[in-house]
Amino acid sequence: MNSTQSRHLAFAGLFIVVTVTMLLDISIVATVSNETKRMFDYLDNLPDSSVIIVSFDHEASSLPEMKPLGLVMLRHLFAKDHKLIGVALLAEGTGVGYRLMQETAKEYNKEYGRDYVFLGFKPQFIAAILSMGESIKGTFPEDYLGNATSQIELLSDVNNYDDVAAVVSLADGSLTTHWIEYGNEKYGVQISAAVAAAMLTTYDPYISSGQLKAMVGGLRGAAEYENLLGIGGSGARSMLAQSSAHLYIILLIIIGNFTYFRSRKKG
Amino acid sequence: MDPGTIVAGILTIAILSFLYGDNPVYKMAETLLVGVSMGYVLVITWTNTLMAVLFKPLFLESQFWLVIPFIFGLFMFGRFHKSTSFLSRYSMAVLIGSGAGVAIPAMLGARTLRQMTATVEMVQGDSFLTIFSGLVVVVGLFSTLSYFYFSREHEGIMGRSAKVGTYFLMIFFGTTFGYTVMSRVSTFIGRMDFLLSDFLHLTN
Repeated sequence: MNSTQSRHLAFAGLFIVVTVTMLLDISIVATVSNETKRMFDYLDNLPDSSVIIVSFDHEASSLPEMKPLGLVMLRHLFAKDHKLIGVALLAEGTGVGYRLMQETAKEYNKEYGRDYVFLGFKPQFIAAILSMGESIKGTFPEDYLGNATSQIELLSDVNNYDDVAAVVSLADGSLTTHWIEYGNEKYGVQISAAVAAAMLTTYDPYISSGQLKAMVGGLRGAAEYENLLGIGGSGARSMLAQSSAHLYIILLIIIGNFTYFRSRKKG
Repeated sequence: MDPGTIVAGILTIAILSFLYGDNPVYKMAETLLVGVSMGYVLVITWTNTLMAVLFKPLFLESQFWLVIPFIFGLFMFGRFHKSTSFLSRYSMAVLIGSGAGVAIPAMLGARTLRQMTATVEMVQGDSFLTIFSGLVVVVGLFSTLSYFYFSREHEGIMGRSAKVGTYFLMIFFGTTFGYTVMSRVSTFIGRMDFLLSDFLHLTN
């Protein structure tokens, strides 16, 4: 078997493992980790009706992982009657963010302009974060739908980060770092994050230093958060497939190493 | 089933066909992705940036000072011709100068000073476990730094410290790799979830 054939076999195996486990349609109640509990408690303990910025700092390609995370965050924040300001610091996050906010707001009977608003995309994320520290309405003269932000009820008493209780960054890359460096360091706004699993190790030091208040990550984090909220969702539904896929990959690593050492022994 | 789901389902299968090998169906889906992404970003940039931040305020609200960044923006296009390429240097100078001025104090504060403070604070924890964790962090910090110190031969204490540093680095790379695998598997599961539930209606 050549390397291309073995690669195809590995992919086919993963495809079968994921498909079969998903067809079983079993939701697993994920054990809640300390990190996820910390994020839940942090958002849960914010005073009711706080103004919170939800920043969609991800691209469409990471949607399968970011959507369940975004949904649990928005559901929790809407359930607590917080006032949400949606922004996107990556262009592709714009459409995704608006749609997610709109769908979730419907579930909780929230009204656009009064309970939530989506300001859209602003390029040059560092400039955007710094500019919002001076004036949110100045940075976004119009919202995503073209309404003048000066006429939006939710924003009537919101000028800059002084009027914002927290920022929740939904990130698949390093954008949360910029929120920490410019939003938190310069203006003192509290930052928390829901990130792709690949970014968890990058942001971990910021939790220890307190620059990041709390963090939840990956599909597993979404499943744990669904558990805390007492709702079902794609996170819990995908956990059996996720665990099976991980076991399959561990098996491949063991087989790969065994074959390698055996061939080295043979010379 | 709405047309969007059908298109998304077919394109997902087209992209997954790469697992078998490079083929025209995959190429078509990949090209479509690049084209649509570029088109989307262009439209968003035009409406949210050029129109909202530059053209509308400049021409409709008479904010004439915006002529200055507009001209600097136009200078960037000077790169397309040899005789005018020098103009883009002025724009780049402004970008780099202001960018560095903004970034250096913020990064120094957030990434270096606050992290150094946190490292020391952990050692001063109130429980045995916190102090032990803090010590591990301190040992990890100094040993990893010694691995990247190239002004002295990695021999003796320096060599042993650098060796310990490589173990910390390997643990970090291993953890990051594990999380990255988890992330990619999640993406695949997300698409399979869409295919099996929304597109094929095989699961709820």
